[in-house]
Amino acid sequence: MNFDLGPDQRDAAAGAREFYRGQASAAAARAALEGGAVAPGHKALADIGFLGITVPEAAGGAGGSVLDLAVVAEQGGAVLAGPSLVTAARAAVLLADHPDLAGQLADGSAALAVLDGSVDGSAPSLDAAGATLFLALDDSGALVAGEGEATSGAPLDATRGLASVRMTTRRVLTEDATALWERARQVAATVLAAEGLGAADRCVQMAVGYAQEREAFGRRIGSYQSVKHMLVDAWVGVDQLRSLVWWAAWAADAAPDELPLAASAAKAWAAEVVERAAETCIQVHGGIGFTWEHDAHLYWRRAKVDRLLLGDAAEHLDAVARLAVAGSLA
Amino acid sequence: MDFDDTPDEAAYRADVRARLERAAGDLLHVGAGDRVDAGTHEAELRRTQRVLAEAGLVGVTWPREYGGQGGTLVQQAIVQQELARAGVPTLINHIGIGMCGPTVIAHGSDEQRARYLVRLLRADDVWCQLFSEPASGSDLAALRTTAVRDGGDWVVNGQKVWTTLAHVADFGILLTRTDPDTPKHAGLTMFVVDMHAPGVTVRPLRQMVGSAGFNEVFFDDVRIPDAERLGEPGEGWRVALTTLMNERVAIGGAGGDLGLPVETLVRHARERLPRLDPDRQVLARQAVGRAVVASLATRYTGYRRFTVLSQGGVPGPEASAGKLAGTAAAKLVADAGVRLLGDDAVYAAAADGDDSWQRTNGYLPGLAIAGGTDQVLRNILGERVLGLPPEPRSDKAAPFSGRPAGGAR
Ligand SMILES: Cc1cc2nc3c(=O)[nH]c(=O)nc-3n(C[C@H](O)[C@H](O)[C@H](O)COP(=O)(O)OP(=O)(O)OC[C@H]3O[C@@H](n4cnc5c(N)ncnc54)[C@H](O)[C@@H]3O)c2cc1C
Repeated sequence: MNFDLGPDQRDAAAGAREFYRGQASAAAARAALEGGAVAPGHKALADIGFLGITVPEAAGGAGGSVLDLAVVAEQGGAVLAGPSLVTAARAAVLLADHPDLAGQLADGSAALAVLDGSVDGSAPSLDAAGATLFLALDDSGALVAGEGEATSGAPLDATRGLASVRMTTRRVLTEDATALWERARQVAATVLAAEGLGAADRCVQMAVGYAQEREAFGRRIGSYQSVKHMLVDAWVGVDQLRSLVWWAAWAADAAPDELPLAASAAKAWAAEVVERAAETCIQVHGGIGFTWEHDAHLYWRRAKVDRLLLGDAAEHLDAVARLAVAGSLA
Repeated sequence: MDFDDTPDEAAYRADVRARLERAAGDLLHVGAGDRVDAGTHEAELRRTQRVLAEAGLVGVTWPREYGGQGGTLVQQAIVQQELARAGVPTLINHIGIGMCGPTVIAHGSDEQRARYLVRLLRADDVWCQLFSEPASGSDLAALRTTAVRDGGDWVVNGQKVWTTLAHVADFGILLTRTDPDTPKHAGLTMFVVDMHAPGVTVRPLRQMVGSAGFNEVFFDDVRIPDAERLGEPGEGWRVALTTLMNERVAIGGAGGDLGLPVETLVRHARERLPRLDPDRQVLARQAVGRAVVASLATRYTGYRRFTVLSQGGVPGPEASAGKLAGTAAAKLVADAGVRLLGDDAVYAAAADGDDSWQRTNGYLPGLAIAGGTDQVLRNILGERVLGLPPEPRSDKAAPFSGRPAGGAR
């Protein structure tokens, strides 16, 4: 057994950390709430090659694994980057037999979004606000691509680019795409959990840092058990989320039979862990944590939105139970 | 990244299986995760361990010179998995193997190692850990049992409590205070004590679920030869830390299920879910899903720790997270298992007589206390892993003898 990242993945994570820290930040997420652009933005992510990590080399991508992509996505999550690599990962699965479109995904010449729900009026979908080409599953179970009209609500987290879309043109890419669609959604849930991992880890770091410095009643607040234990519980959750994210990403690449269970486990755990980490971060900071200027609320916003995307915790816990009982575990 | 055995590991596993099959007739077998009362099954449990030791399946990582196999942590884990798979109950000497033995290896004399370790592995002698006292559990260094030098011996007086296996034990490692005039951590000394020596009295204590798993142990002028000291006088705290470090790794460090295995819950759910009415099924699936996810999160985190160990790393304080999270997961598993019983959930056993869910449910509160309470583990993780400042500890520097009398009794 070797359940750890390899040297190449560690290098990729380090490179991604540097890129994302230079290009995105909680400050940019705050500015986006006031009408600023999402950072790093679609073009920068295409240029650095992150949109094509799992696109085959023959189609112009890097031919990497879902795990390769997940370690990069974690770094994006840490600075609340957008657009999401969830979209890239999901579209790459859907476009496996369409190298032309996969190439456009990788080089950024099309800005893709994958729609959940009906083609005539989708559910709010990730990165649909700025997209030029939409992928969806139509009523007959076919994968379709086309253009559409996007309508957004007031954003809770402006980095997610959420919009509902009514498709105005569409052509069938793949008939009978239900199984493909399911798999793409599981990969997407895995990558969403990876982004959540980065965000939650950052929340714990911020809160631990503050608890080491801030004093009250003549002591540093981190010495008080109610603060310390809250931080430990948040950290344990994050550490366990890392294990589930790696497992799910590995399963996507190497053990497709385990992917449905692993992806739902990771997504369900992420929904709760990221939210707890963000709320802990605010609580440990006290009043300053409740201000617009502090970064904590931007992570909280991310948590509150992501927990509902691609199925909430209840949906994924139900899936885990059904899959386990049906034989995925014993 | 992979979860497969290497060819070497696969060969070792096959060999372990073959040895287990050959020994099967002489081993006690139980259902997965079931516990066997050492008081009522002492002879079978001792025999089971001896047979396994003779098959080379006990003390896998211990040096050969002490009766071990000189094997790796990976091999140890493989044996552990195969024993569980074969339904072999927890070894009667699990405390000796996990905690007392490693302490003797690290701090004992050559004579002690020669005298005790092989017999310990064969369960010729069963061992217990005599640390906690009525007035010192979490605050172990506040203990009061004294040992006073008298010629070539030490004379011990005092009381230990919650001592698992003392009622069947032949030896114990005993932490005592030998110098009350120094600060509490400085005046301690560790010994090996013969549980059959004059002046040792063991009284079983009935646990909340009814059985007697732990004991109180009284020491009245018990004489221990100086040759049975482990480490120097006054070095007892350092010696005890060896034991406690091994304890946290032994319990939950590897991410294994600490209660009934999650696979057992899943089989139970397969059978019981359809019997609940549809509204309840929705709720029960939430409980099962949550228990499964928490167990897998703990299991896969254990695989990460294990990978570090197998590459030559040493267990760090984060092993405590395995016990903390494993206990929480085990409680979710047990609770889901009980709820699936439907109307039977209010009774100590289901109508078909199965009491395994209620038993595991009733055992888990003790797991959140034994070997470091949940709160103490959070303190350790907060201070040693997250680097948060310690609490002020007002009694750390003053001589132990100067403190006000108090405590539980
Ligand atoms: C099933 C079982 C088996 C055991 N087997 C053995 C054995 O074989 N050998 C042995 O020596 N001991 C054994 N013990 C004893 C065990 O180690 C102690 O019970 C444990 O360390 C707690 O000590 P205590 O019972 O004195 O509780 P206390 O230390 O008095 O704790 C009471 C409560 O206070 C909390 N608390 C205490 N200190 C702190 C702190 N600093 N911060 C926050 N909260 C705190 C605890 O978390 C707990 O909730 C066993 C216990 C159990 C339940």
